[in-house]
Amino acid sequence: MTPTKFLLTALMSATLASPALTNPVRDGQLAGLAAQAKKEDAGFAGFSAERGRALYQARFATGKAETPSCTTCHGTDPKGKGQTKAGKEIGPMAVSQNPARYTDPAELEKWFPRNCNQVLGRECTAREKGDFLTFMISQ
Amino acid sequence: MESPRTPLDSAAPTLTVWDLPVRLFHWLLVGAVATAMITGWLAPQWWMGAHLWSGYQVLALIGFRLIWGFWGSEYSRFASFAYGPGETFAHLRALVFLKSRHAIGHSPAGAAMIWALALLLAGLVASGLVMAGGEEKQGPLAGIASYQWGMAAKALHGPLALMLLGLIAGHVLGVLIESRLVRENLVLAMITGKKRLTLSPPENIRSARPLPTLLALAVMAVLGAGSLAALARLPPTGIYELAANPVYAKECGACHHAFHPSLLPASSWQGVMAGLADHFGEDASLPKAQAEAIAVWLIANAAERWDTEAANRFRTLDPAQPLRITATPYWTRKHRDLPKARFAQKAVGGPANCNACHRDAATGLYADQEIRLPKETNL
Repeated sequence: MTPTKFLLTALMSATLASPALTNPVRDGQLAGLAAQAKKEDAGFAGFSAERGRALYQARFATGKAETPSCTTCHGTDPKGKGQTKAGKEIGPMAVSQNPARYTDPAELEKWFPRNCNQVLGRECTAREKGDFLTFMISQ
Repeated sequence: MESPRTPLDSAAPTLTVWDLPVRLFHWLLVGAVATAMITGWLAPQWWMGAHLWSGYQVLALIGFRLIWGFWGSEYSRFASFAYGPGETFAHLRALVFLKSRHAIGHSPAGAAMIWALALLLAGLVASGLVMAGGEEKQGPLAGIASYQWGMAAKALHGPLALMLLGLIAGHVLGVLIESRLVRENLVLAMITGKKRLTLSPPENIRSARPLPTLLALAVMAVLGAGSLAALARLPPTGIYELAANPVYAKECGACHHAFHPSLLPASSWQGVMAGLADHFGEDASLPKAQAEAIAVWLIANAAERWDTEAANRFRTLDPAQPLRITATPYWTRKHRDLPKARFAQKAVGGPANCNACHRDAATGLYADQEIRLPKETNL
């Protein structure tokens, strides 16, 4: 990325994206996850939307066989709708499509353990959760 | 001997035997019964609405015919075809030897058939009403008939309908045979109302009496509407107002159709709520207090509390999978004709998504006429 491009991108995200995408609860969650991530790994240097995308799209062999990936139910495009195994529609995960996403700590506490267990076969780390949120906020 | 094949329009005098109301009654009844048979035996279940309406039509026609049997014109009156067993037997014996005597109105054998058809139709309407009320919780008897009554009526309704079909075949055959024997087109007679007058002209032919007929019809309509209104005020048996449960709707409804609690017995709900960490292969863990609150509500409103068709049926579980609604014997039987691909299509999203096809799934009633299969699409 050239310095100009970087500046442009930064400017755009500051002027265009931020007003809709900042939310005190969500930012607080991210801050809390960052603090925890640092505790878990001293070398932690911030969340990455790209790592979040990779996590979202990765296929795991460690969870339930019928749900190898987040995309199994949520769909490949986070801006699109998903469908549960039982046929219920799932609203888009991208914050741009639903600004209220990730603004209820109780929902985050409920869904992260459930879905990480389901897909990865284990709890997610604070960094993984932060990456995921950062990716969804960027979408 | 005179030519026996005297055409209707020849010199032989004719008499209007079947008055217009009786002819209308006959052919409207043919239409209603045909609709009832097609919708009952051949059409998909969601034609139940048309089936019920054809039943109500038969009921209304029977009501009219009862009145017309007393104040209609001569040959519509019950008295004109109330033959004793002796006469009926004599006529039947004559028929065996392919002899018949020309009757102006109903012949004795024909009259016996009419009475049998009328009794069967009344039985079909009665059993249908009890069935609709008890099994489907619909119609005027929903507030009286229990599911058990409905099932008893169901055991009658089908065989009665088969018997009716047999009698209709006998009726048509009888008309055709008699038409040959007496050399008169009796089907045409039920359209034009006219028959050849071969017997000496009857004396004291009574004509229709419109005023008593209209009065009786008015009384019947008022009494009928009144009793229907009174019956409609009764709450359906075994159905309760179920207060909305927002926690259940949100937590359980997030992943799947929020099943009506009447669809499983209490023991199954208990099992479901105790195993949320592995909920049919999904991690559906909930905070303990929330899970307990939902369990209390589900168990309090489980199948045992309801008398709907679904609640009664789903109390019989699959012993191997007692927690799964879609494994119950009744569910499996009712859905076995649907190809797997139908369930897999996106608009359905799996067998657990009841409301993809059952528009009233949220009520737990699952009425036949509320079924609509989504358009068939590729995956």
